[in-house]
Amino acid sequence: MDNAVEVMGLTKYYDKLLAVDHIDFEIKKGEIFGFLGPNGAGKTTTIRMLTGASIPTEGRASIMGYDIQRQPVEAKERMGIVPDVNNVYDELSAWDNLIFTGRLYDVPKAYREERAQELLRMFGLYERRDEKVQGFSRGMKRRICIAMALMNKSSLLFLDEPTSGLDVQSVLIIRDLIRKLNQQGLTIFLTTHNIEEASQMCDRVAIINHGRIAAIDTPEQLKRTLASLQSVEVAFQNAPDSVLEQLRRLPGVNKAVKAGDKFRLFTNDPPQVLSSLWGYTEKSKLSLITVNTLGPSLEDVFVKLTGIELATAGGTENNGRKELVHQQASSKKG
Amino acid sequence: MEGTSSSHLAREMRVAWAITAKDMRIYYVRPPSLMFGILFPFSLFLSFSIGRNIPISSQIPVLIAQTLFFASSSIGPVVIPVERANQTFDRLVTSPVSLLAVLMGKTLAGIIYGVGITTIPILIGIVFFGSAIGSAAALIACMVLSSLAFSAMGIMFASIPGQTAGQVMMPLNFVRIPLLFISGVYSPVQELPLAMQIVSLLSPLTHTVELARYSLGVPTFFGPLINVAVLSVYAAVFLLMGIHFHVMSQRKK
Repeated sequence: MDNAVEVMGLTKYYDKLLAVDHIDFEIKKGEIFGFLGPNGAGKTTTIRMLTGASIPTEGRASIMGYDIQRQPVEAKERMGIVPDVNNVYDELSAWDNLIFTGRLYDVPKAYREERAQELLRMFGLYERRDEKVQGFSRGMKRRICIAMALMNKSSLLFLDEPTSGLDVQSVLIIRDLIRKLNQQGLTIFLTTHNIEEASQMCDRVAIINHGRIAAIDTPEQLKRTLASLQSVEVAFQNAPDSVLEQLRRLPGVNKAVKAGDKFRLFTNDPPQVLSSLWGYTEKSKLSLITVNTLGPSLEDVFVKLTGIELATAGGTENNGRKELVHQQASSKKG
Repeated sequence: MEGTSSSHLAREMRVAWAITAKDMRIYYVRPPSLMFGILFPFSLFLSFSIGRNIPISSQIPVLIAQTLFFASSSIGPVVIPVERANQTFDRLVTSPVSLLAVLMGKTLAGIIYGVGITTIPILIGIVFFGSAIGSAAALIACMVLSSLAFSAMGIMFASIPGQTAGQVMMPLNFVRIPLLFISGVYSPVQELPLAMQIVSLLSPLTHTVELARYSLGVPTFFGPLINVAVLSVYAAVFLLMGIHFHVMSQRKK
């Protein structure tokens, strides 16, 4: 058994609403597997089905070889769960939260006390172990939540948006911890809105949209599949208001987007765009500050596959050339 | 997990007890919960006793039954919706135990609370009104089975999918309050018309009142065996219904 998770035809309806639509994927043991998707795409619903919090309408899933529906106890014994909210017991101390979790997993007393101590030290909370969690900051509660998920020494950890809304220090601590846990052999299922985080941390990512898996591969492979998302990034000194419109018309430019004080020109042929860009700057007497050629980022892949580009990036289509965002473009036409 | 090779049943019991201990600590052993458990049955009892020409000593079994009824079924129904709202209930559902163990843990907290609070009217009856325990076995059966049935009833109502704490109390009280009037609380079952006697047989509270009366040496209508049997059946039905509602909830969520 090389797979930590196997998902076959997993489907969830909420009454008539299809939230997750016959998804299939596997997660290999020892992987950090990213699960990306816009809000409402089906990420949390998928996690809830995989962890036994929700019953699938169709399909099946196994955790470390145990079917989550038929062998729930065996499957749940092997997983730790960090949900998208900090579901700690505010009325209990940090220590008691961990000890209660150990008791829920029937961890023997001596071991759960040793483990609680070890985890509280690891998360920098040992000195505050006797304080009620209700006085803790959001980042501290998040750390307690992750510590609780590690009490049973599971072999698979589900992390639903683990760094969402946290301060930089907490984010760095948690990312570092995830890497360390993975190096120790823990398989990690990570949902995140932070595409850069997924790109840096995950061995493979799945992009889910409207309840379906739109793509699944390593971050680099996903980037390579979208050659049309290569781009030239350029910044001018004192650019006139009309520059975006003029850049759009340059030969080879599929699309031009203003991003802060820079412009990003999407193209299949960066040399052609660079050549036409030199001509344009000379003719318009504009001074360049920076020019960079960029490959597609995981964010570009995400944007293309989920069709959320116009809502987030404020892009400008070069009509008649190439549709970068099929869903938005088609809705515009419709 | 290594080191946890004990039997499945023992494990389920240990986890259920962990849930009970946690619930007792967080929800039950708090001043508002304790005051409610003591004051509500007493005030209900006094409101129906004062002004009636009945000796209070003869009403001690009613006070015991009312206390068991309200104390056991009041806190649990609030706990599950609150835990659902802050998603701590998911911790229990995703832990490696059965739903029965989770609900038994919740129910057991109600039992301990109900039995604990009910010792107060029993002591009051013995110390101040000269009540004598005629059958200790009947009293124990009354307290354990009734608190089990009523705690499970509260948990069952709390398990109905998609309910907030406030929404649970309305249907629960819609059932609890009428039960007071059909269960021989204010007049013994023997004195009710035949139709009401048949209806009262179906009320679990009838059997609590009867067992309490029997344990204090007062003659009863149905007898302790029927009382015990009916309360046991209700406890099992309420627990199974609670599990059924939770499975429904997991299908919907």
